[in-house]
Amino acid sequence: MYAQQVTFKWDLVSNYTREIMNRLLIVFLALAFSNVFAHVEHHIPNLGAKATEFKDDGKEAHKRPNMSHKDSLIMQRKMHPELLLHKRDRTLRQGVRGGRASLEKCVDCHTSVDKDGEHIPVNAPEQFCSTCHQKVGTSVDCFSCHRTTPAEEM
Amino acid sequence: MNIRYQQIEGRGLGFYALIAGLGIFILAALGSVYFMEHHGHYVTGMSNRVVWGIPHVFALFLIVAASGALNVASIASVFQKKLYKPLSRLSGLVALALLAGGLMILVLDLGRPDRLIVAMTEYNFKSIFAWNIILYNGFFVIVAVYLWMMFERRLNKFTSKAGLAAFTWRLILTTGTGSIFGFLVARQAYDAVIMAPMFIIMSFAFGLAFFILILMASYKWSERPLGDVIVNRLGNLLGVFVAAVMYFVAVKHLGNMYLAENIGIENFILFGEHIYTPLFWIGQIVLGGLVPMALIYHPALRGNRSTLGLASLLVLIGGVIQLYVIIVGGQAYPMEMFPGKEILEGYGGIAAYSPSLAEIVLGIGGIAVALIAVTFLVKFLPFLPESLADEVADPHYKTK
Amino acid sequence: MKALNRRDFIKNTTAVTAGVATIASGISLTTFAAEPKESEPVTKEKRWGMLIDVNKLTESNIEDMVNACQEENGWGNEVHSRAEQKPNWIKKVKVKDKSTGKIDTLPMMCQHCEQPPCVDVCPTNASMKREDGIVLVDKHLCIGCRYCMMACPYDARSFVHEDLNNQKTHMPRGKGTVESCTLCVHRVDKGGVPACAEVVDSDAVIFGDLYDANSKINQTLKKIQSTQIRADLNLNTGVRYSGI
Repeated sequence: MYAQQVTFKWDLVSNYTREIMNRLLIVFLALAFSNVFAHVEHHIPNLGAKATEFKDDGKEAHKRPNMSHKDSLIMQRKMHPELLLHKRDRTLRQGVRGGRASLEKCVDCHTSVDKDGEHIPVNAPEQFCSTCHQKVGTSVDCFSCHRTTPAEEM
Repeated sequence: MNIRYQQIEGRGLGFYALIAGLGIFILAALGSVYFMEHHGHYVTGMSNRVVWGIPHVFALFLIVAASGALNVASIASVFQKKLYKPLSRLSGLVALALLAGGLMILVLDLGRPDRLIVAMTEYNFKSIFAWNIILYNGFFVIVAVYLWMMFERRLNKFTSKAGLAAFTWRLILTTGTGSIFGFLVARQAYDAVIMAPMFIIMSFAFGLAFFILILMASYKWSERPLGDVIVNRLGNLLGVFVAAVMYFVAVKHLGNMYLAENIGIENFILFGEHIYTPLFWIGQIVLGGLVPMALIYHPALRGNRSTLGLASLLVLIGGVIQLYVIIVGGQAYPMEMFPGKEILEGYGGIAAYSPSLAEIVLGIGGIAVALIAVTFLVKFLPFLPESLADEVADPHYKTK
Repeated sequence: MKALNRRDFIKNTTAVTAGVATIASGISLTTFAAEPKESEPVTKEKRWGMLIDVNKLTESNIEDMVNACQEENGWGNEVHSRAEQKPNWIKKVKVKDKSTGKIDTLPMMCQHCEQPPCVDVCPTNASMKREDGIVLVDKHLCIGCRYCMMACPYDARSFVHEDLNNQKTHMPRGKGTVESCTLCVHRVDKGGVPACAEVVDSDAVIFGDLYDANSKINQTLKKIQSTQIRADLNLNTGVRYSGI
């Protein structure tokens, strides 16, 4: 009889624990999700030569008016495909030149230079494009046609 | 008499050997696709002058044959010929399988097959190619529905309506396929409206030849009875279709010769000193036309299944050759860029094309895909009647 | 954090992207200070064209034009492609009249038709004509079906048969897509003339707006006799020839 009661109590405890664990799991998942940003933000290992210099100088790259620098960066990070796509069709089909978005400029700032001073293709492994794209498993189609390094100096 | 449909058993050594054999061809095709796409098309025989090579020959051959293979079902449900009714299910299946094989080749030979999604989402409605994409997808849906009406007893009453829709659709589809070439003003070999009806007639012949071979093989290998009435009727029909193809070919070439601007291309195909002339006369006309007709109609060979099988095979080989002459030969002949002038340098001359092994393997892989699809599906669904013996299949059968 | 997988990332990203998009939609994208101003879209009011006077061009002039195009657009360095697989945006063509025996040498490239067959046949709208008459391939949409090459009466298009790198920044090119003369659209949009027209005498190859009554090309075309290649096809080409 006594033993049975104990068992019963243990059941209660374990039920309670399970519920707590479930809640903790939800909290954990929420944290995990909200941290993706922080993760991407703090762990880009390779910004590229010019971009790193820019950052080290304390300049605010991609800063948009009416938006904090951090939000501007988030926007750039999340929406770069849309921004480029928008510009791509306007340039190619309507002949709109100049303006802000330009793949050429992306490549210009975000390529690294190797020991010999040669530019490394921006889409090579461990380079700027690949770091994130590899992680999320999406391929970059830009560079099957577009140049992967800044234009050679004339 | 009621027709009973039954899956084939598909457990014997022969079945697995067939699957394995076809599988090897398919794997080889996938390997060559990887090879071609990895390196680029420079490893193929294709060039800027001959932009469509052997893969397109096989692809269009299968697509054309696919719409023709549906004819047997159409004869039953549109023209109410009872004899063909038990064959309808297989006819629909062969049509779908051949189309799948052809489209596989077509897609895998693209420069950017990874962008197939673009082809499915961006349509230029002026493009005959874009219509064809819609027509092919529609064919799959319509024939699938048609098959469903045949399989589901409660829906049998709609079979003839679905059959009519499928028949109409397939005529439009082959018109579309023929028009890929028919509307190319730039090239002397193609710019002719007769291409569309000629492709339709070609589809009748190629599709039926495929159907006869698959029917005879499956009944032989599954040891089911197949009566002479059906086989002979199909054989006769094939003979008529082959004759019709030859008629269209004759009209096309004779008609062309009447126009001064086309004499060049006609001389090129009919009397040239290069591979396309013997391919035309010996391959297409003799092997693919005259010999099969002799095999079908010669009194001594009547009812002989081996010769009918051989005739069907020759029709298919002749068909591939015919498409080779049309597609590759038509491109090899230089465009008339400067009428009245001879081009000395920079363009002109007969374009060279020698197909690479990878291209040929891809083409054959498409046929293997079609055949493996048929083989699997007759095992898993009741496509084939248990018996097609004369007393079962022939509505006019009289006991002697 | 290592456990972060693709699905989580995409799920999360989608939500945030939607969020950012909502924020961003309130902001005009063109309000950035110190950004170079975008040019206006091209219009139908212009139609770019070229008049090539065959009599004023020597064979070496034409070779110069070909070289200038290669240099400008970065084609012709393919290593694997066979001769007939190499790109040919512009080429030297020599023709002989069958009756008189007169020989003409001329540069041939995309003729920038008003009714381009390549645009009609392209299933995905990759072959396209800009409002100002320049015919281009949108390589973002090109699936490499080569139907445009079948349709072109001028043999103007090439298929890229191999992997490329070190393309020109202004001229993306890539394996598995079709390409052709762009009339040096990147120069024209900045007020320049095509590279081939630049290297030869300005009277031999005149580039300009066919519609503009004050342009040199328009005025010359009014004075002298000129032809379109395959004029019988009624494609109304932008590239015209005189002297053949």
